[in-house]
Amino acid sequence: MRLFWVLLGPGILVMLGENDGPSMISYATTGASYGIGFFLPFILLTFAMAYVVQEMTVRLGAVTKKGHAELINERFGKFWGWFAMGDLVFGNLLTLVTEFIAIRAGLGFFHVPAAVSVLGAFLLIVAAVATQRYWTWERIVLSFAIFNLIFIPVAVMAHPVASDVVKAFFTWGPLPGGVNAAFMLLIMSNIGATVTPWMLFFQQSAVVDKGLTPKDITHGRVDTALGALLAAVAASATLLATVPLFTHHVDASNFQGADFAKALIPHVGNIGASLFALGLFEAGIVAALTISLSSAYAFGEVSGRSASINSPMKENIPFYAFLFAAAGIAALLVLIPNAPLVFITLIVNVIAVLAMPPAIVFLLLLVNDKEIMGQHANRILGNVFGIGVTIFLILAGLAYGILTIFPHLLTTS
Amino acid sequence: MKNTDSTSMTSSHANYAWIHEVLEPDQLASTKPLFGRRKLGATTLALLWILRLYVLLMIFLIGYQVWSAFHAKF
Repeated sequence: MRLFWVLLGPGILVMLGENDGPSMISYATTGASYGIGFFLPFILLTFAMAYVVQEMTVRLGAVTKKGHAELINERFGKFWGWFAMGDLVFGNLLTLVTEFIAIRAGLGFFHVPAAVSVLGAFLLIVAAVATQRYWTWERIVLSFAIFNLIFIPVAVMAHPVASDVVKAFFTWGPLPGGVNAAFMLLIMSNIGATVTPWMLFFQQSAVVDKGLTPKDITHGRVDTALGALLAAVAASATLLATVPLFTHHVDASNFQGADFAKALIPHVGNIGASLFALGLFEAGIVAALTISLSSAYAFGEVSGRSASINSPMKENIPFYAFLFAAAGIAALLVLIPNAPLVFITLIVNVIAVLAMPPAIVFLLLLVNDKEIMGQHANRILGNVFGIGVTIFLILAGLAYGILTIFPHLLTTS
Repeated sequence: MKNTDSTSMTSSHANYAWIHEVLEPDQLASTKPLFGRRKLGATTLALLWILRLYVLLMIFLIGYQVWSAFHAKF
């Protein structure tokens, strides 16, 4: 048990870290738009997919002792290494912006000025990294991440009908409105809320930074499964918390974070709404901490520098500078007056899903490479699941694309 | 002053020795294996480029959707 406590970390961090600002807003929008039905079991399916993908990164990190970007760089050449890092850094920058939006929205509910909340969050990122110890950084983030479960009491306060919940898991329904462009946007958004490229890069690098070895793979799997379970519970709770808005026909299509909390006051009370707003802040800060480090890991690995927060700041200035620059630019973008923040929030999860298939192909190539993985290479079942997830993501992306251009083509309502 | 420096150096080395004893051999950074370059086959390369084009096309579509949403709003 003590050993498990020591090994606990990257899996839980990555899963709860991905329950970030745009993800929670996405689950909240889903609950308010569709109520209890199709999306409740669908969320569990997306976390099962996340486990399949993330488990491979645990093995890769523990066996090769190299981060994801470093391994792509070394095995497939600098061209693909920089391409992978470019995708990641671009996606991460957009995602970081949305994390600061969530932080601003969450604290905005308590009338904290935008500049104060954004600057405070940035300073927290700097302070956590300034410890220059992975272990200390991880414990700081874990202590924030556990508050992701704050959405559970809000869901209880919303009094969901138990029989509807059970029925949803057995029937995958109802699905009011049928299949249309709005439905596909939420499908993509919910997938993007659980399966994204930064998770691959972060968990593999964190496994290396933590020093896990092949003997620790089982513990790494338990850590990842536990993280997926906790994150799935928090995600489902967020959906259930906003179901009263669906029941009372409140139009939440243009809601931002703080609007959800305000709209929930009549249904869950001031305490429930405050918890919801605090949850948004937590989701944003945990993801901002992990995603900024994920960008720096990839930069350090591809540029051939040390990619570790165990390295002294004085000796590894580019690594730390990149981390602070990524977080700083995102924080500044959020403070630009009249910036199209709502649009950025909407598209971030979708972009994450679209960037995922190329990332999984690299992951599958690496994890099937017997020369580097030896006995820990993927077996048939792992490949069936891995390829299945990739095909599913590509088809979902194509369906989204088709419905964007031809909104009435696949409508079945 | 010299003595103090020498003491701290010794203590620092002692710390490193302790760490080396506690860590397992495969946990040391110096044991990080070096993997050679692997040549990608034609099919894999084609798949990677197709997926790259897919991402570019989809990002264009997202841009179109954002543009449409923006114009519908204003």
